Amino acid sequence: MINRRITILGPEGTNVYVIFQYLIFCVISWFTLFNITNEIGLDIQNVLVRQIIFTLIGLSVFFLITYVSISNIFGLSNVLMFSSTILLIGVLFTEESLGARRRYNLGIFDFQPSEFTKIAFVIFLAAVISQKRNNFFAIVLIFSNILLIYSQPDLGTTIILLLVVLGMYFVSDVKIKSLFAFLIMTFISFFILLEFDLVSSFQVQRITDFYSAEIQDFSQRQSRLQISLGGFLGDSLSNTENISIFVPVQTTDFIFSSFAKSFGFIGCVALLFLWVFFGFRVYSLIVMTISEFEKFLLAGFIILLYLQILINIATVIGLIPLTGDPFPLLSLGGSSIIAVSSIFGIINRIFIENNQVI
Amino acid sequence: MFSKFRLNVIFVIFTIFLSLIFRELFILQIINTDENTQDIVSQNFETFYIPAPRGEILDLNGNKLAQSFLEPYLFLNQKKINEENKSVYKQFISFNFNELTNTEINNFFNSNELFVEIVNLNNYKSDLRIKIQDYEAFEIFNQPKRLYTYKELFSHVIGYIGKPNQEELVEYPNAFGNKTVGKNGLERYYENILSGKPSEIILQNGEIIEITPAIPGEDIQITVDVNAQEVVKESLQQGIELANKSFETVNLIERGAVVVQKIDTGEITAMVSLPDFDPNQFVSGISEFEFKKLNRTQAFNNFAIQGLYPPGSVFKVVAYWLAVNEGIFPEDASNSGQYVNCEGSLSFGFDDGSKQVYQDWKPEGHGRVNLSEALKQSCNVYFWDIALKIWRTFGNTDSEAMLQEYSKELGFSSMSNIDLPFEREGVIPDRQLFEDWKISKPELVRPEGWLGGDLMNLIIGQGAITTTPIQVSNAYRALLTGIKSYPYLFNKNSDLNEENINISLEFIDFLLDDLNLVTNPGGTAYRSFQVMGDLTYDIGGKTGTAQNAGDLNNTSWFVGVDSISNPQYLIVTVVEEGGSGSAVAAPVSRRIIQYLLEENMTPVEFGEITE
Repeated sequence: MINRRITILGPEGTNVYVIFQYLIFCVISWFTLFNITNEIGLDIQNVLVRQIIFTLIGLSVFFLITYVSISNIFGLSNVLMFSSTILLIGVLFTEESLGARRRYNLGIFDFQPSEFTKIAFVIFLAAVISQKRNNFFAIVLIFSNILLIYSQPDLGTTIILLLVVLGMYFVSDVKIKSLFAFLIMTFISFFILLEFDLVSSFQVQRITDFYSAEIQDFSQRQSRLQISLGGFLGDSLSNTENISIFVPVQTTDFIFSSFAKSFGFIGCVALLFLWVFFGFRVYSLIVMTISEFEKFLLAGFIILLYLQILINIATVIGLIPLTGDPFPLLSLGGSSIIAVSSIFGIINRIFIENNQVI
Repeated sequence: MFSKFRLNVIFVIFTIFLSLIFRELFILQIINTDENTQDIVSQNFETFYIPAPRGEILDLNGNKLAQSFLEPYLFLNQKKINEENKSVYKQFISFNFNELTNTEINNFFNSNELFVEIVNLNNYKSDLRIKIQDYEAFEIFNQPKRLYTYKELFSHVIGYIGKPNQEELVEYPNAFGNKTVGKNGLERYYENILSGKPSEIILQNGEIIEITPAIPGEDIQITVDVNAQEVVKESLQQGIELANKSFETVNLIERGAVVVQKIDTGEITAMVSLPDFDPNQFVSGISEFEFKKLNRTQAFNNFAIQGLYPPGSVFKVVAYWLAVNEGIFPEDASNSGQYVNCEGSLSFGFDDGSKQVYQDWKPEGHGRVNLSEALKQSCNVYFWDIALKIWRTFGNTDSEAMLQEYSKELGFSSMSNIDLPFEREGVIPDRQLFEDWKISKPELVRPEGWLGGDLMNLIIGQGAITTTPIQVSNAYRALLTGIKSYPYLFNKNSDLNEENINISLEFIDFLLDDLNLVTNPGGTAYRSFQVMGDLTYDIGGKTGTAQNAGDLNNTSWFVGVDSISNPQYLIVTVVEEGGSGSAVAAPVSRRIIQYLLEENMTPVEFGEITE
């Protein structure tokens, strides 16, 4: 590896594509939030102001992480996983809000440790798989984290983490047979939990309701209608009509519905194309780099990001039941933005360590 | 080993999902746009709001000062009432809730609300609820109710809630659904923290299709102490009673305020303003008669932050600080220790040849006084001498407003920024203000404008100057700590704007010692504090008696410090038309200090008339 001079914003320290892609996503989020609230106020309660502050924090995290070499990240994988475990245990002792214990209240914003877990998880798995350290200790850590998130309860993140484990092992040369065993084990443990009443009936009901009857969730029906309203070109410029529509958590989990309304089909295609292109760039980097750890790390991150996006959109357009996952870099929320910024920071570092500056 | 092939497989799976999403989006946004837009238009949603429970207000020890209860209310769904079933419902209501009059019941059915509130079901037997279930136009919703546990005791600190007006609906977006808004006190100041987000009930063609839960407001724990507040109120009431007994005044003496402030932090331990009112009256709607009656006695004013009074001699500490800091003393003295003669009056001439005689409150004079003695005996002549010196040395120069600048540095003439609404600023007069007043309020000023006599008035806290009790308390706190910051009631009000003031520890000791003289033999407040015996050696204060225009009695002031060796609290008492500070306000403060020192409280008794 060439020892690079890391400069702030300089092409030597930052891959121009990654930073621009990152900023474009952030700006899209600002426009979407502005369209939702349509208010300009300079107080901390204003969602747009909050999002801009979060983006600025995220941007500094992005650059800070660019200074950390991949070998350092590799060395830190165990520490990160341990801290994630401790944070997840700690969060179970916080005050319950809206039926779950998911966040630490840090005054003006809440910290969700599960966002941090997602990153620690990918780094740890990449280290474990690339080194073939499939020992008992690693498996216990991985599953205790999944269980801890499950007990918050946070079914959406649990499913995403399970799929990340599955996906990252799948791209290694592990036998397909073992992966099936893993899948079967997961199902069995889920039904055991169900049997012992450890799954909240509310969540199960949501799933059974969704697939058994015609009753689609009220908010999903509403969000589908809202997406329709966007049409081909979106109505961000012409929306003056006062329509009665009730989409919940418009700024967070359901933000894609507002985005689709504001920017239309063409906007959705453009946004998803940007993410697909991002995937191609990361894919080419995976092919280029010779480090096994980096390959798994990149694959893990792209699987994580794509899963979040696909599950989020599928929820919003009513293809799958409600899960409550944010859309990376689009949803309002400090923890999510900072987590995704860290991922972009690490990807950026891998780009420059492989001498890719554009 | 990393398998590129398998990564390709994953990407293929993702692509399949992505195409499914695109297909769905295509259907929604291009094929079905018009149909779905029609659906939206025909949705006809209507929303009804149920208020969120307001956050509770707790005192220092966790006693609940303002509480929120959820109580079940019976509502009538108007959309489900038609000509056929109307009589059935009318009958049910008049049969089961017989205290409702016929007109009230008829009004329920003519209301244009989606849901009409009928009664609080807690007042009725529980088996009624089972009967109600058979009637589909009835709904039971839990609505919050506010209760002020200590009634009048915290009326001005906590304030009250009421129906929002137009401006409030704009300022507080949740006020519409909550149906109430903080109107005064902490309820107003912390409206955004306390209010919470109302529950939304979404209806389509009269059927409830979605209920979003309310988000309750956050609790706040404030710095006042119920026990201290009770003692303070009792003491002030005794003081007012005493003043009415002792003086023959034109008006009934009924107004006064006390602020007890912690010296180290600036937090408020007790704040009382009289007359007061019971904020619970506003919860169920106050009658206009009652409101007007309270308004006439000015019960809604918090005199601790809104009462504007000339401070009288309690203001002399400002000149005291100026004298020590600038080395400005009466003509014959060059330092604070040197004595000058006070003959009970001061005659002096100005450059323009005019001559005037000012009379001290003690006609025979205070004899030999230095700075400490002047504060102890509240000698006006000594401070007039200082004013004359300032006037003669700096008159008509940039430094002329030296005294005013010292006052402003201590926070006079600007809001203390305590976390309560509608605070008033008061006035520190100077040449510029008098020039402005010549135009805006010509009845208040002489045509000559600002003169030396005005400065002499100002230095003893008389004339055009007005201050609030909280300003006085905060100014003394600044002098005793060297720190000026916003006083506060809620500890999480983080921005206290701390400023350091150029005050030496030496000065603080010097001032404390001199405040101590006031409550000891020879001092103006000795008579009021005598009952505490040897304890007076460690107590201090300053009396103030401010003259009022016309035949109004003087305003009675006292600023007390609970301990000289270990100052913890400042106690500022003002009784409007209460007469001499040493007679009424001082014994009120004394009783509060007895409480703060955990001594036996003796009744408020007449001190002596000084000043």
